Amino acid sequence: MHERLSFFVKRDSPIHRLNPMTKVVLALSLVLIAFSSPWYWTPQAIFLLAIIPLTFIARVVKEYWSFFLKVILPTVSFLFVMQALFLPGESRIIFEIFGLEVTELSAQLAFRNATRIAVMVSSFTILLLTTHPSELMSDLTRRGLPGQFAYVIIASLQIIPQMQAKAQTIISAQRSRGLDTQSSFFRRVGAIVPLVGPLVFGSLVEVEERAIAIEARGFTSTRAKTSFHEIPDPSSERVIRWLLIFLVIISLALKLWLS
Amino acid sequence: MQNVAMQNKRSDSWLNIKKDFNTMTWVLMPVAIAINMAVGQIVATLRLPVYLDSIGTVLVGVICGPWAGALTGALANTILGLTINPDFLPWWPVAAVIGLVSGICANYGLFKSWWGVVVSGFIIALAAAISSVPISLLVYGGITTGGTGLITAYLVETGRGIVQAVFASSFLTEPVDKITTAMLAFAIIQGLSKRFLARFPRAENVETDEKISQTQLIIAVAVVILLILFAIFLLGRLTGA
Repeated sequence: MHERLSFFVKRDSPIHRLNPMTKVVLALSLVLIAFSSPWYWTPQAIFLLAIIPLTFIARVVKEYWSFFLKVILPTVSFLFVMQALFLPGESRIIFEIFGLEVTELSAQLAFRNATRIAVMVSSFTILLLTTHPSELMSDLTRRGLPGQFAYVIIASLQIIPQMQAKAQTIISAQRSRGLDTQSSFFRRVGAIVPLVGPLVFGSLVEVEERAIAIEARGFTSTRAKTSFHEIPDPSSERVIRWLLIFLVIISLALKLWLS
Repeated sequence: MQNVAMQNKRSDSWLNIKKDFNTMTWVLMPVAIAINMAVGQIVATLRLPVYLDSIGTVLVGVICGPWAGALTGALANTILGLTINPDFLPWWPVAAVIGLVSGICANYGLFKSWWGVVVSGFIIALAAAISSVPISLLVYGGITTGGTGLITAYLVETGRGIVQAVFASSFLTEPVDKITTAMLAFAIIQGLSKRFLARFPRAENVETDEKISQTQLIIAVAVVILLILFAIFLLGRLTGA
């Protein structure tokens, strides 16, 4: 029950060994290029030539594709169907269904938008599959992110599964006392208070104790903290990062120049 | 004399960012993020037509201040994206706006009565609807993946412009959700002891002298029900046209 929730899979791969910052820059630049490039086929090319090879290099093929089939594919196909049917576009009609027209233009736009979303979700998924949240946070803290931010993110990752378990316990407990959570609409609305109340008040009680505990451990101290775990950051990766940023700038500039 | 007392009771400007953050704020933030998720889960179990997944964000905005609320919203969406589905990531500005606006409303004294809370809920919904328009246009090309996307699609099909349709559909779905959220957050604050609340940076936002009356609550609930009926009516008119 006290496990952290995260996508991370422990493997030994070149991507896992990269500095977390490099992976963040890589994910963000793939997304920004996919969204800003004026060339129609860019998102599709990024998906085929960057995302798929990356899953092989990172040795997370199985994990990535199971997430792709469970989450990304349904979302993206829903988006594609909806947009193809409903986006306005005056061009040759491909086919008609229930009076809704799929035109060449709307299908093209829908395909591009859906691929963009797929690239966005996939590149972050690869980042999270290959980067442990604590490592990412300690690297970002070393680069100047205030420690409080890191605390909020890491603490949330720990508290959320506990809280979800607690919510399930409260639902079961109130049901066994006869609380109606399944019948009419108004009964279900009425069930909010006895379910949310104990959960929220129970969790807020701990806040004060935790504040005292972390203050006693130097939480508000502004002096630089040392870390037991060193994260390597070779200069070759710095070059890669600048190169990626350069590509993003070119893509954004082309977009502005051509529009 | 009374005037001086009133002035002392008035809260600091909401622009004072530093005031929002003490250790209690930082510790409340992860708890608030977990509350967002767990309440969202309970509401999904109950199969209710709202999300109520920003109660924690509004709570932080009200008792810690607008900037703490904004940060909670932004981080909540980031964490949701990091753990459940990266599809949540692009929506972080909307969550931040929800926290910010609820904090500003509380600073102007709207979180002291049920009336004010309903009004704040409405303002929060308006702000959330406006801020979600550019994101759904830029990232999703207008039609998003949720139930709101279906309404947008319908409006586009019946001849409305895409920007207008995106705005209309989020404006139809947001008020009920955000007013209920604000009311639940207020109910939670009412249930907390004064001693506990006083440790948060903007406890004066919710300080009241008289007891909150039951009649006010009943009228507020009635307003919400009327609003739901009005939304359904509007939806009927829009789809009928």
